[in-house]
Amino acid sequence: MSHFFSQTIWLVPCYALIGAILALPWSPGIIRQTGPRPAGYINMIMTLTGFIHSLLAISDTWKMPPQYLSFNWLHTSSLTISLDLEITAVNIGALLLITGLNFAAQTYAIGYLEMDWGWARFFSLMALFEAGMCSLVLCNSLFFSYVVLEILTLGTYLLIGYWFNQSLVVTGARDAFLTKRVGDLVLLMGVVALLPLAGTWNYTELAAWAKTAHLDPTVANLLCLALIAGPLGKCAQMPLHLWLDEAMEGPMPATILRNTIIVSTGAWVLIKLQPVLALSPTTLGVMTTIGSLTAILAGLIAIAQIDIKRSLSYTVSAYMGLIFIAVGTGQTQVALNLLLTYAIAMSVLIMSIGGIVLNNISQDLTQYGGLWSRRPISGICYLVGAASLVAFPPLGGFWSLIEMASNLAPSYPFLFGVLLVVNGLTTFSVTREFTLIFGGKPKPMTVRSPEGLWAVVLPMTIMMGFALHVPILLSQWNLLPAWETLDLTVVSELIISTVVGGGLAAFIYLNDGITKPIQLQPKALQDFFAYDLYTAQIYKVTIVFVVGLVSQLIAWFDRFIVDGVVNLVGLATVFSGQGLKYNVSGQTQSYVLTIVLGIALLGIALCYPLISFLH
Amino acid sequence: MQLEYCLLLAAALFGIGIYGLVTSRNAVRVLMSIELLFNAVNLNLMGFSNFLDPAGIKGQVFTVFVITVAAAEAAVGLAIILAIYRNRETIDMEQFNLLKW
Repeated sequence: MSHFFSQTIWLVPCYALIGAILALPWSPGIIRQTGPRPAGYINMIMTLTGFIHSLLAISDTWKMPPQYLSFNWLHTSSLTISLDLEITAVNIGALLLITGLNFAAQTYAIGYLEMDWGWARFFSLMALFEAGMCSLVLCNSLFFSYVVLEILTLGTYLLIGYWFNQSLVVTGARDAFLTKRVGDLVLLMGVVALLPLAGTWNYTELAAWAKTAHLDPTVANLLCLALIAGPLGKCAQMPLHLWLDEAMEGPMPATILRNTIIVSTGAWVLIKLQPVLALSPTTLGVMTTIGSLTAILAGLIAIAQIDIKRSLSYTVSAYMGLIFIAVGTGQTQVALNLLLTYAIAMSVLIMSIGGIVLNNISQDLTQYGGLWSRRPISGICYLVGAASLVAFPPLGGFWSLIEMASNLAPSYPFLFGVLLVVNGLTTFSVTREFTLIFGGKPKPMTVRSPEGLWAVVLPMTIMMGFALHVPILLSQWNLLPAWETLDLTVVSELIISTVVGGGLAAFIYLNDGITKPIQLQPKALQDFFAYDLYTAQIYKVTIVFVVGLVSQLIAWFDRFIVDGVVNLVGLATVFSGQGLKYNVSGQTQSYVLTIVLGIALLGIALCYPLISFLH
Repeated sequence: MQLEYCLLLAAALFGIGIYGLVTSRNAVRVLMSIELLFNAVNLNLMGFSNFLDPAGIKGQVFTVFVITVAAAEAAVGLAIILAIYRNRETIDMEQFNLLKW
């Protein structure tokens, strides 16, 4: 009985899946009488069941060796695909995080989607996400990770496209699906190429294989580059980052889930694959380069946004870039810690701005101001979330970041610099957002702004409580870096970057002496970052243009050349029939001529061999 | 006087007959061309009979039959032409093209 809960942990994704199915009857087309609310309640109960189950299971696995479960999924002549599950404290901790955050987001949605009819669709998709992420976390097989990633991509498409009567939602969902799909497809190439090399898709066996593998460097590079392409798209890294910006068209409670966890699914696969990726130093270099570029550029873009959701979405990209750097430099434990602290902090931030948007309608930062006195709870939650995100002692993000920084500083001073810059930029961006929303004087949009419903405020404050407790939890789990081993200069540099970034933003935006909105000189630079490096235009003139042109050419070729050849045969037959009928002249004499000619030719043909005997 | 000359003459006559058969517009001339063809055949039969089978002269018997049949055929042919003429008021071969596409 002692291991009952950990042995049945695979039920956690099933709970969510059951919830997803049970919610559907409350679609407006099926149950027409009673409204959609039970769909939400059922899913909350299912999520809570999963949460409690994980909570009971984590004590079973605490300080225990990992347990493995395996189900045979498919067995053909020479290929056995088994669904392997790994049960460790880390995995169940991740389950707790997923189910807990989903429960918070669902409670939040009860309040946020008060005026919405589409609960059945919304909650079943949220449950599908929960099921997908729980199975991703549990499964110990690259193949099934890929399967789940694809299901989540489809889920993202449907969830972003929730309010599909808005045109920007439709394009956003399209871009999110296609961008993530491209990454996933390249990942599939890597997954398929890995099997003949390693002979297994099991992460544990892959790690063992990678220790002794001797691959041709080109093969290793290509393989590992393909393997990071999936997480590249999932984590919204350059150059596949535009979808996350456009995904902000979806409903806010879904944003909570997406920006905290779903983008982390890619990072999870990346962490799991780290032993394989270590086979190729080039790939590690590419990862750190992409991570650094994304982190810095997304940090800058976040500062230049005027949409509060989009400003945070670029911060998400920046933090996923940090995870790429961490995995690229082999710090998987740090990456996991960072995912934990980041997810909690970001969920508080998004819940806070969601409450603001709900009661102020506008998402435009320049329309906000002076909410601190009337929205103190949202303000405090935002502050705590922001402080837990960046290196602000003693909150959660500080510990993950200093651990990462102290690992980076001796061997990779450049990446340490990147981390400092990103931390400063993120602090600047979240402080700017805070000061623009809560500081200054009320503007027309914010003159009357009540605090939200209990269902919106409660999960926000509870998550804030979690964020505040993260350092204690970390110290309980012995995840805090030992203070004595830390280089204090590194720590102080990190704190200084936080203080400089935050202080500068507060000085600029709380100072009435500086005219708002701020115009950067040159203006082109400001626009460059405000329009996300013109990524949409770059996509349009490069890949979209090429694919569009090629498809038009192929369609033209198909319509005129391929179809044309076949039609030509038909036409030739028709015309030859039309033309040859004039041989039937109606003149008896011409028929006679034909007969005579036929006989003559036949006679010549028959006699031809005999001509040589004439002499 | 040789068999070859006889055959060549018959072939030439046959060729002229074919030419007349194909090109004539007058239906009676067509019948006349057919008679030329018969005569070319008869020349052949006679030639072979005289040069190759002088004892049996079977070819000459055939020739008699051919002349008989040719006469019968000419009678039937002229009757057909008369029948057509009564309907169509012409014996121009190019007017008899009911089967034209």
